[in-house]
Parts: sequence; C-alpha cells; structure tokens
Amino acid sequence: MKKYIYLIVLIISSFSPFAQTRVSGVIKTSNGKTIPGVNITLVNTYDGASTDTAGRFAFTTAETGTHMLHYVTIGFKPDSIAIILDGKPLNLSLIIKEAVSELNAVTITAGTIETGDAKKGAVLSSIDIATTAGAVADIVAALQTLPGTSQAFSENGLFVRGGSAAETRTYFDGMLVKSPFSSQLPDISSRSRFSPFLFKGTTFSSGGYSAQYGQALSSALLLETKDLAEKTSTEFSVLTVGFGAAHTERFENSSLTVGGVYYNLSPSYSVFKQNINWDKAPIEKTGNIQYKWKPTKSSMLKVFSQYSNNDVSLFADNPDSAGFIHVIDHNKNNYTNLTYQDYLNADWRIQAGASYSNTHESGRLDSNNFRKNDHLLQGRFTLTRYLGQRSLLRAGAEAYQNGALEGWNDQSRSFNDNLQAAFTEGEIFLSDNIVMRLGGRAEHSSYLGDWNLAPRTSLAVKTGTHSQVSMAYGIFYQNPDDTYLLQSHQLGYEKATHYLLNYQYLTSGLTFRVEAFYKQYADLTKYDYDGFPKTYAVNNYSNLFNGGDGYAKGIDVFWRDKQSIPGGDYYISYSYLDTKRDFRNYPIQATPPFAAKHTLNVVYKQYIPAIKSELSTAYAFSSGRTYYNPNNPDFLSDKTKAYNNLSMNLSYLTRLFKQFAVVYVSVNNIPGFNNVYGYNYPSNGSIREPIYPAAKRNYLFGLLVTIGDNTFNH
Amino acid sequence: MKTLKLCIVLLIITFSVKAQNSDKYTAAMQKGMALIDSASTSEQFAAVANFFERIAASETKQWLPQYYAGFCNLHAAILGKQDSDTKDALYDKAMSYAEKADALKPANSEVLVLEGYITFMKMSVFSQQRAMTMIPKANALLEKALAIDPENPRAYLVKGQNTFYTPEAFGGGKAKAKDILTTAADKYKNQKASGFEPAWGARRCQALLQQCN
Repeated sequence: MKKYIYLIVLIISSFSPFAQTRVSGVIKTSNGKTIPGVNITLVNTYDGASTDTAGRFAFTTAETGTHMLHYVTIGFKPDSIAIILDGKPLNLSLIIKEAVSELNAVTITAGTIETGDAKKGAVLSSIDIATTAGAVADIVAALQTLPGTSQAFSENGLFVRGGSAAETRTYFDGMLVKSPFSSQLPDISSRSRFSPFLFKGTTFSSGGYSAQYGQALSSALLLETKDLAEKTSTEFSVLTVGFGAAHTERFENSSLTVGGVYYNLSPSYSVFKQNINWDKAPIEKTGNIQYKWKPTKSSMLKVFSQYSNNDVSLFADNPDSAGFIHVIDHNKNNYTNLTYQDYLNADWRIQAGASYSNTHESGRLDSNNFRKNDHLLQGRFTLTRYLGQRSLLRAGAEAYQNGALEGWNDQSRSFNDNLQAAFTEGEIFLSDNIVMRLGGRAEHSSYLGDWNLAPRTSLAVKTGTHSQVSMAYGIFYQNPDDTYLLQSHQLGYEKATHYLLNYQYLTSGLTFRVEAFYKQYADLTKYDYDGFPKTYAVNNYSNLFNGGDGYAKGIDVFWRDKQSIPGGDYYISYSYLDTKRDFRNYPIQATPPFAAKHTLNVVYKQYIPAIKSELSTAYAFSSGRTYYNPNNPDFLSDKTKAYNNLSMNLSYLTRLFKQFAVVYVSVNNIPGFNNVYGYNYPSNGSIREPIYPAAKRNYLFGLLVTIGDNTFNH
Repeated sequence: MKTLKLCIVLLIITFSVKAQNSDKYTAAMQKGMALIDSASTSEQFAAVANFFERIAASETKQWLPQYYAGFCNLHAAILGKQDSDTKDALYDKAMSYAEKADALKPANSEVLVLEGYITFMKMSVFSQQRAMTMIPKANALLEKALAIDPENPRAYLVKGQNTFYTPEAFGGGKAKAKDILTTAADKYKNQKASGFEPAWGARRCQALLQQCN
C-alpha cells in the first residue's frame, strides 16, 4: 500500500507547482537585430511570454522534463527548440528567420501584369479599370494604358508587342472566349462584350505565359469573375447613350444576378459631331445572368450566361467609286460559361469547366448579303497538387469543338475543327529566393491534321527585399484565323517564340518594372490578294500557305506611385517596339499599321474630398503608324503623324432619394488633337482619304444609383 | 478493500487533475480579461494577444481564447503605427483567429461582429483599392450578426463605427453613425454577458457618440 501512496504522491507532484523552472533569453535575427513581440510558448501549456523591445523574455513554468519551446511572430518563420526543464534556470539565445510574405515573395513576373483586388502585387484594381479616363469602363481600352500594348485605332482588339489583334486571346474563368468583341465595322472598333464590373481580377500577360493557356501567339488576357455577391441590391444606370439595370439576390450560400443594358447612340451622336456617316447609330441590347454557389468553404460553382444583340448601319467611304458603301450589320452573340472548383484537401485542387458560345453576324454591303457565324464548345479539367508551402504540380486537358461559316449572297463556306489539348507544369521553389516554372502543352487539331508541342519555362530570382529578376521562354502555337481556315484546308499552326527578361521593384506604394522582350514569328499565314485587305469585309484570298515570318523586340517600362500624393495615384507606362513581319499579302517584311514604335501613357487619379469627387486624367501618346500607299514602291514605308489624346473623368459621389449615387462625366480628347488613324486609297492610288476617329471628341454623362446597399459598391 | 481504496484514490487524482485543468483555464482567462482591461497601447494589446494565443494553442475546443486572440491582434494593429504591410498581416492574423472561433462556434453573433470589424479595418489599409469590395463585405457580416442576435450592442457599435469612419459620399457620415450608435448605447444598458463572453465596447460607444455631436 505504501508503495502506491509514494507513487501517487509522485504523480501528483508532477502536476503541482512545486518545481518551478525559470526560462529566459533573447531572440534576434541572424544579423543581430532584436525583435519585440515574439510569442514564446511552451507547447501544450499556457506557459510562455512575449519579447520586450530589447528582444528579451522570461517566464517560469512548473512543467518538468523535455518540452518544445515554440516562438513565432509576424514576418518571421515559426520555429521551436527542445528544452529540458529540471528546475535549473535556462537562459537561451534564439535566432528567428525572416519569413517570405506575399508581397516580398519571389513570383514569376516575366510577361505578366496582374490586376485585381485580392493580390497585393496587382498593378491595377478592378475599380482602376472601371474608372480609367478615356476607357469608359471598357476593359480592353483600360488595358491599353499598360506597357506592351499599342493603341487600337480603328480595329477591334488588344494589340500586344507587335502582334495582330487575333494573337491576343481572352480567357473567362480559364475558358477561351471565341469572340470577345462585337462586329468589326469599316475603320471603327467596337467595345469588348464584358463589363469590367463582372471581374475581381484581370491578369494581362504580354508573353511567356503558362502552359495552361493555348491558342494565343502573343498575349493572354485572363478575366476572373467575382465570387458571391455580398448583399441583395438593385442598380440602375442612366447614360447619355442608354440605360441599364441589374438586380442581385443574395441567398445563404449563393447569389443570383440578373441584369441588362440598352444602348442607343443616336441621341448622343446627333448632338456631338461625328466623323462617321451613320445611317442608324449603334444599338446594343445585352442581358446576362450570373449565379454563384458556394456549397462548402473550399468549393465554388459559377455560371454566367449572356446574350447580346448589336445593330448598326452606316455609309462607309468607298475611295474606288468616290462614293459610299452602305453597310448594315447585325451581331448576335450567346456566351455561357460554367466552372467549378474545389480543394479536395490541403494538397489537391480540382477545376472543371464547360463553355459554349455562338455568334451570328449578318448584314449587307450595298446590295450584297453577307453572313459570318462562329461557335465554340469547350470542356476543361485541371488537377493541381500542392507540394509543401508553395510549390505545385498541375496537369489538365481540354477539348474544343470550333467552327465558322461565311456567306456571301447565295454562296457559303464553313469549317469545323476538333482540337484536343493536354498540359502539365510544375512551379517549384528551389529556395525562398528562386522559383522555376517548367511545363509544356500538346495540341492536336483535326482540321489542320497536325500536332504541336509547346515547351514553356520561367525563372524568377529575388535580388533584394523588394526586387527580383525574372525571365521566360516559351513556344506558342495558334490556328490561323477563321477567315483563312474557311478558305483553305492546307494550313498549319502559326508559331511564335518568346524570350523575356524582367526586373521588378515592388512595395505596397511603389511599383517599377522594366521588361525586355524578343519574339520570333514563323509559319504566319500568307496569301495572294490585290490591294490592302480590310478585315471587315468578306474577302477571297488565293494560294494560302504558312510562309510568313517576322520578329518583334523592345522594352516596356512601368512606374506607379500610390504613396507620394495624398488621395492621389499615378502611373506611367512606356513601350518601345521594333517589329517587322511578312504575313497576309505583304511582299516583304514590313512594320504593320497596328504597331507603333513609341507608346506612352500617363494616368493620374485624385480624390477631392471638398467636391466629393474622383478626377481621373489620362494622356496617351503613340508615334506615327505605317499606312499602305499604293503610289509608294516601298511597301508600308509611309507613316501617319503622332497620336495624342488627353481624357478626363469626373465621378461625383452623392445621394439621390437616400440611395447611393454616382454622377459621371467623361470627356475624351479635351484639347481636340486632330488625330489620323491612317489613309484609304482607291486601287489606282489617285487620292487618299484620311481615316479619322469616329468622333473628334467624345462626351459621356451618366448616373448610377444603387438601391438596397447604402455603401459604395460600384 | 485495498483495491477499493486504490480505486478511490485514483478517482480523486483523476478529478483533481481535471479540476486543476479547468481551474487553470478559468484562471488564465480571468488573467487575460484583466490584461485586456488594462491594455491601452498597441504593444500591450500585442502582449495580451500572445497570451491568448498561447491558451488558444492548447485549448483547441474553446472558442473564447481564439476570439480574444483575434480581438487583441485587431487592437494591436488599430492602435499601432506599423507600416501598411505589417498592419495588413496583423489583420490577417486577427482574421485567422476569428475564423477559428467561427469554426468552433458557428453562426455566433459576437464572432461575426469581430469578423466585420476586422474586415473594415483591413479595408482601411488600402482603402482606395479595397473600399469597393470590402465595405459591403464588412456590412454583410454585421447584418448577419444582427440577424442572429438583434440585441447584440457590439453589432450596432461596430456598424456605427464603420459608418462614422466612412465618408458621407460613400454612404457614411456622423449623422448616420449617431443613430446607430444611439441604438448601440441602448442595447449596452440591457446587455447580459455570462462568464468570459464578450462584453466590451460600452465606453467606446460613448466616446464615439460624443464625437458625433
């Protein structure tokens, strides 16, 4: 019995505060800096302390035996050591290592500019995109203020580093968008179909992008839609060009938004002088539905469906007859996208998606009827395996069913292509300061009857707390434009090879990036055609083949300062581009009209509390572009004068009927620069007709009201 | 007989160890609450945050240590003069504790208030970029807190406080804040909190109300 009592006493004593051990010490970084506020914990007990301003700590504990002492604080790596508690005071000298935070972590930045609200390294937030002066809430127009892009003058699209508009592809939650713009009209570009308010983030890649994205020679524009709407609310907008409404209903784990816009530009065009001879100014009707469902914390289902209908009619210059061509154009587009993602556990993530789109464009050129239809059905599946804290392996597969039809009066031609793709890549952190991405993509197109295999790699190395150098190399393939595939079954993939070198300095207030690039083109589509083809018409080409080539090289610079001006924020982007290419019906390698040698953008935003307004100003400069002059034996050697534009937006925040409201005024080309986009010649070259912007100066007034949400939302 | 005695002794030991553990928890929480009451600077709140984090690390089933770890980290950031990135990281840390409390005590009005408070403060670090998405998010959390417990004075306090610091043009302002804070003050009069449940904010409410006039 006595034996037991001793044992019991012994057991109890181990829980009682008889044997106290004093643990003290100091915590420093490896270069001797003391750190205050470090939390020191004896694991599985409450015992511990915080370091004082001299990095010292002390506590006593009743525990005995071997224990782990854990120490952690923000900005440093959690660490622990084993200590033996036996009543003798312990004096420790501990080293704590700096942790890698999101902002100072090494990331692959070559070719990539992220925008969005969640990422700290983001260059522009979604509100920046919506309020960039002169962009009138058009994503693509706002992106034209970023380095690497050229001003799109009269052609639809985003022109990146000497690439044509077709070389930039848009991805909506990872799914390829077949026709992100409405119809191309004669010498007039149209807006992109998607509202910037749909998206929480945009990644704009001007080269060297991941193997996840295929079918893009020059650039990938990745749009990521918002998650669940926070609240039930209703919004109305009234603009000089039309009106819109949207209602959002928030449920427990899901939200549903139904909205639509009606734009009719004729009232505005009748007041503000137009350079275009409109018969019926553009009318746009768009309706969309968004459904977001978050069944569990880690998963998300997103459904988006949009229908848009555009009608326009105008008289376009016809230099050949010294008269006009009457152009009537109807464009109907359906776009539906469904994506789902889930983290199976901490290590595995799945993403799946399906999308379908079709476009029916029809109209008349004088007495001739034309049709242009296209469709794309896509399925996609991606599996990601996370390795350790930051590294990952990713693999996925895609299938596309893609086709188009072109009709001219009674005749028509069409093609259908089934394209399968598989990709895999790894993002591996070789150390805290070095990350490497290595991957590849394989595609097979039934219509081209061929395979391609595209290796992609990037490497980023940290050079300081806020700076890093990164580089990228990759091969990119794209099917020739629908227009060419419709006319030839003999074509193969077009190819580009990218080399990028990038330096970035990033703090929360300042961003500086400079990037040098070299891009080599091969197998671009060539054909025979008299004159300089216009992209809006239905043209017949002959002898199509993959004989073209070219190059683009240059330097892009970006500087953004959010900290020096209270309430203000500005950025400057500059691009130098040297490019020549032999494609289409070019007789030699020449600089295409869509490439400018120098492009400069300065964007400045200032919130002025006194008038409760945000003022946004944007200046754009673009050096002269080449244009086709049939009288000049040197092909594309004439240049327009430089382009200048100064735009302003004023957003006045107020309340109307007790609801949050924004009054919006936007003016573009305030000084009235006489810009010329290029010249049209008749085939005999006798006279030239300048191509002017659709209007010398544009004005837009608007009012946005949000009901049911008393706070700033849009 | 011997066996019976032994059983009784063992039983007593088991209970005393258990009682000791729960006493230890109560004592530690009492100490923590006293530390919060006496804390007024960022450094003091950081030290109390560390204290609650230590309790939270061992008491993985209790939501209150997690809640107060979040609460103290939040105040360490609000009162501090750290650079934006450190502040941001502190708010993230505070939120991670609030989320742990939420997991242990789902659909709790107090936890939702804390999350709404942290969200609004995190917004303020980079307000130009975040106002558009994070103010509605903070408001949604507070509305949810009010839906669960319409008598929670802290839900009104934080709502009123967020309104107070939101410019009038963005749907805030003193006049609007005053109405909400007055409701908060009324609710504080009737609040009943038991044990270590959150009971903070009455003084803050009065201080803000005075600034509204």
